[in-house]
Amino acid sequence: MNTTSPEAAAGPVGMSRTQDAGPMGMPSSQTTAGPMRTPRPQDAGPMETPRPHDGDGTGQPPRTVVVTGVGLALPGVRKPADLLGPLPADGGFDPATGLTGREMRHKDRASRLALRATEPALRDAGLLDDDARFLGAADTTAVVVSSNLGSLDTVCEFTDTIARSGVGALSPLGLPQTSSNVVAGWVAIRHALRGPNLTVCNGATSGLDALYWARNLIAAGRAETAVVVGVEPSGDAVTKLLGEQTTDAAVAVVLESAAGAAARGARPRATFGGYARTRDLPSALTAAGTAEAAPVGLWLTGPDLGQPPAGVPAGARRVDLEAGLGPLSGTLGVLQCAAAVAHLDGGGEGSVLATTGGPGHDATAALLLRRSDA
Amino acid sequence: MTWDITGMGAVANIGADPQEIFDALCSGRESRTPLKAFDPDKYRAAYAYEIDDRAEEGRDEPLRATRWLATAVRQALADAGLDEDLSEIPVLVGTTMREQRSSELWWRDGAQVGLADLHFGTHLKNTFGPSASYTFANACSATLYALGMATDMIELGVADTVVVAGTDSATESAFGTLDRVQNDTPDALRPFDTSHKGMLMGEGAVAVVVQRAGTGRGPVHARIRGVAMNCDAHHATAPDPDGITLAVRDAHRRAGVRPEDIDLVMLHGSGTPRNDATESGVLGAVFADSGPGPLMTAIKSMTGHTLGGSGLLSLVMATLAMRQGVVPPVLGLTDPIPQAAGLRLVQGRPAAAELNIAQIDAFGFGGINAVAIVEAAR
Repeated sequence: MNTTSPEAAAGPVGMSRTQDAGPMGMPSSQTTAGPMRTPRPQDAGPMETPRPHDGDGTGQPPRTVVVTGVGLALPGVRKPADLLGPLPADGGFDPATGLTGREMRHKDRASRLALRATEPALRDAGLLDDDARFLGAADTTAVVVSSNLGSLDTVCEFTDTIARSGVGALSPLGLPQTSSNVVAGWVAIRHALRGPNLTVCNGATSGLDALYWARNLIAAGRAETAVVVGVEPSGDAVTKLLGEQTTDAAVAVVLESAAGAAARGARPRATFGGYARTRDLPSALTAAGTAEAAPVGLWLTGPDLGQPPAGVPAGARRVDLEAGLGPLSGTLGVLQCAAAVAHLDGGGEGSVLATTGGPGHDATAALLLRRSDA
Repeated sequence: MTWDITGMGAVANIGADPQEIFDALCSGRESRTPLKAFDPDKYRAAYAYEIDDRAEEGRDEPLRATRWLATAVRQALADAGLDEDLSEIPVLVGTTMREQRSSELWWRDGAQVGLADLHFGTHLKNTFGPSASYTFANACSATLYALGMATDMIELGVADTVVVAGTDSATESAFGTLDRVQNDTPDALRPFDTSHKGMLMGEGAVAVVVQRAGTGRGPVHARIRGVAMNCDAHHATAPDPDGITLAVRDAHRRAGVRPEDIDLVMLHGSGTPRNDATESGVLGAVFADSGPGPLMTAIKSMTGHTLGGSGLLSLVMATLAMRQGVVPPVLGLTDPIPQAAGLRLVQGRPAAAELNIAQIDAFGFGGINAVAIVEAAR
């Protein structure tokens, strides 16, 4: 595979991995929709290690992935734009009334929350008809769930029941909940989604990591569309473990290949850029390609710790979602994606940088999202 | 495209490394033991396939799954001739229960466990230094899902070397709910035998080093030809023949093989009547026109159900079977269920055979299926 198109050699540097930035740099998506390009070492910039093979040898470039839908089930937040502040005084999702109903029966709290976020996300993407039937290609639609604590209260409650009253007091209908992937299973069943079904439980970076793996499933051709859900239910065990009361939180976003979105006339709301999970913030920003992307206009991050790192303009807006909403754990990265879409939908400037993890965690993750050209 | 497996590691109830486990499988001796992890008076099931490594008899301890994970990864790296610095190498961990047993011990007994301890990435980082580590809680197909995603990473040019691992320790919440649900309580895991009554948990960890073809330092143990993954979207816990059939056929398509090319099938074989009937029914149809069909075995008859790691453990055992030309028997199989009557299940003693291509099945709660095809490296 020695062919390359002129644009590959002369075009924008679409990949940002460097040798010292860690292994997980992800190529930024191509900006052009021109002829198929072979991913070649020189696409990756001068620091790239030459590779013995190009991709899968088919000459297919990594596919561009876009966001086409957002859904929230989040108390105190009515719409994605609220995430950028100020939060409304009241309103938003009400778990007391929102988690009931026939289809909610016998399901754990995390699954119920996730279903309440998934449906509006699919609707926002134009993938549900008036009867809430899925309109997309079910066999190539993936479900990717991010949750760290979603099963904690279930597990603790079941052991309490066994200690108190024995195994006979357990409900046989609780069996699915003993497996940490229960949420992804129910989301798939509810909408008959038969593509890859993945549950990412990866600590503080889990939400951004789930977006990355959804992107990879699409880039590798295993899926055309992916519903990415971040969910963390509130509960006694979660509160005890975190040392503070948490808020029920679920958010869903719909990702799909840019070509697939274009073919069905769906409006791309954001385009995936680089991603990295590395040892610290500077290396994550380098590996994600912050320097090569459009200047960052919005940085979704944690508490303000002073000067922004290299690659983030001093004037970039900075939003800490957990400041207003409390600990979000596995929901955070997916909610950052929803906030990025709100920023871009609202005509906000620049690209959006989301970062999670950092000191006190096993890694830092960074994801760039930019305005879709179409 | 194929991918090289250059390193393997595993720990289970019947052995402390892959070869020990394989030899034990071939010996065909009963391996279940009386339940120790939890108060046996509380359960109808009296046996499990535990790793008996607790410091104090009769007292469970946290973070065993994390400990085994590190052991399996260390073995696989040494086997591949790599050092223990994974700062530039992604690690993908598949698991069903994560560290939920530690959560239970924290909640019930006040075990000293914090949020960071419940995340495998923390210990991996402290031990091997990877920043790109990922934990996938994909039930009992988790490690084959992770294997497929590792091949994707290499294909997409993100990495040349990926460590894929899995680990699980038994949890009281799951063992208890299973005990509640399986009305006909199994006293052993007897896949595909008419005496099968259900599954019993095993424990263990497994790891492999996957490398871009031709880039490893040592010998290649086997070549991955393709990994399929999908979801039934049908039932929360019951298997669906249609979803499993699609996964098997997609694996063959990805690997570029026909059913008659498969020499060995490592069955999911969880010993539940539902799984065994569904899996053997699907394979009976898939291999219907393939002459005598492949040899088949089910290692859970001796390891118990090692949950998230079970698929990859089957793959490691398939690799040794192909190398040594011998297939371990399904322990306790004397009277196959009717659906399995036409399948060449290995019974009684190991079967000698020349084996080139193996299929590995792994199906999990949530209707998630993964099927891998590997080829012997000679």
